[in-house]
Amino acid sequence: MSMHDDDDHGRPDELDRALLALPLEEPPAGLRAAILMATAYRPAPAFSFWEVSFMGVLGAVGVWLLVLLALGGGQLFLHTLATIGAWAMQALSNWTVVVWLAAGGATALWLTLFTGSQPIALAANRSAGRDGR
Amino acid sequence: MPPIQVSAAPQDGDLVAMTLRGDPEAFATLVERYDRAVYHLAYRTLRDVEDARDATQEAFFKAFRSLRTFRAGSKFSTWIFAITYHACCDRLNRRKRYANEELPERADTAPGPEQQVIAFDDRARLRAAIDALPEKYRTVITLYHLQGRQYEEIANVLDLPMGTVKTHLFRAKEQLRRLLGETEVRET
Repeated sequence: MSMHDDDDHGRPDELDRALLALPLEEPPAGLRAAILMATAYRPAPAFSFWEVSFMGVLGAVGVWLLVLLALGGGQLFLHTLATIGAWAMQALSNWTVVVWLAAGGATALWLTLFTGSQPIALAANRSAGRDGR
Repeated sequence: MPPIQVSAAPQDGDLVAMTLRGDPEAFATLVERYDRAVYHLAYRTLRDVEDARDATQEAFFKAFRSLRTFRAGSKFSTWIFAITYHACCDRLNRRKRYANEELPERADTAPGPEQQVIAFDDRARLRAAIDALPEKYRTVITLYHLQGRQYEEIANVLDLPMGTVKTHLFRAKEQLRRLLGETEVRET
């Protein structure tokens, strides 16, 4: 194969033709399957982010109450529950707090409606060209 | 008789939109279309099968995650090649840092570029000659191979001015001709 043709005039020479005819490298077996399993066919998580967060909060509260029970017996537990109940009742009797809670809940619901159906929840806001850096 | 409707293969942009609407098959089609080219670019840039495999996976993963940032009207191939190229650059930089710290066990034990050029057939000789090029020329030549003579696309992938791409390409071809000429002389 002679590769000494001149291509200074923009015409494809023998080297160009050889380059363009070069077969692509064969990817390793299983690469496509691995890509698909990590992207399009990735199994959906068993719980959503909100469900995991809710379970986490419930778990933390449960552990806290158990610690209270262990430390001070039933009295401390009941006293704490009563304090929390009183605080919650006081907060909910203030209409400003209720309005803010309602606004927060509505916003969360609105965001879920608009983003929950998208397959890619973690889309980065980076520019496309610089993504891989 | 009414003309028969032939359903053309969906364009890349349509497949991106379908993926964003929740159709996983659409992204699978994009992977089928480009995994080989992406792997080729990664392999030619990194010259290591495992690294190229990882870079290919990383590129598609990043593309999938940031698919919403893909600008409608631009070419998916240019976008995925750019992501791949940057993934390869990260790996090359890591490799260089690692090489400066200690002699890596997985240092390239393959024959050196000059020995590689002594190959049996034309394609193998051309591949070996491409491998013997410096990294920046190797990537330009590989993209030229993948994208044809579309200098603007190559410039977009590499984030370089078009003039620089043309210069790199010219010098890369010069070096290729020299390397291939050397092997011709050696063989005779």
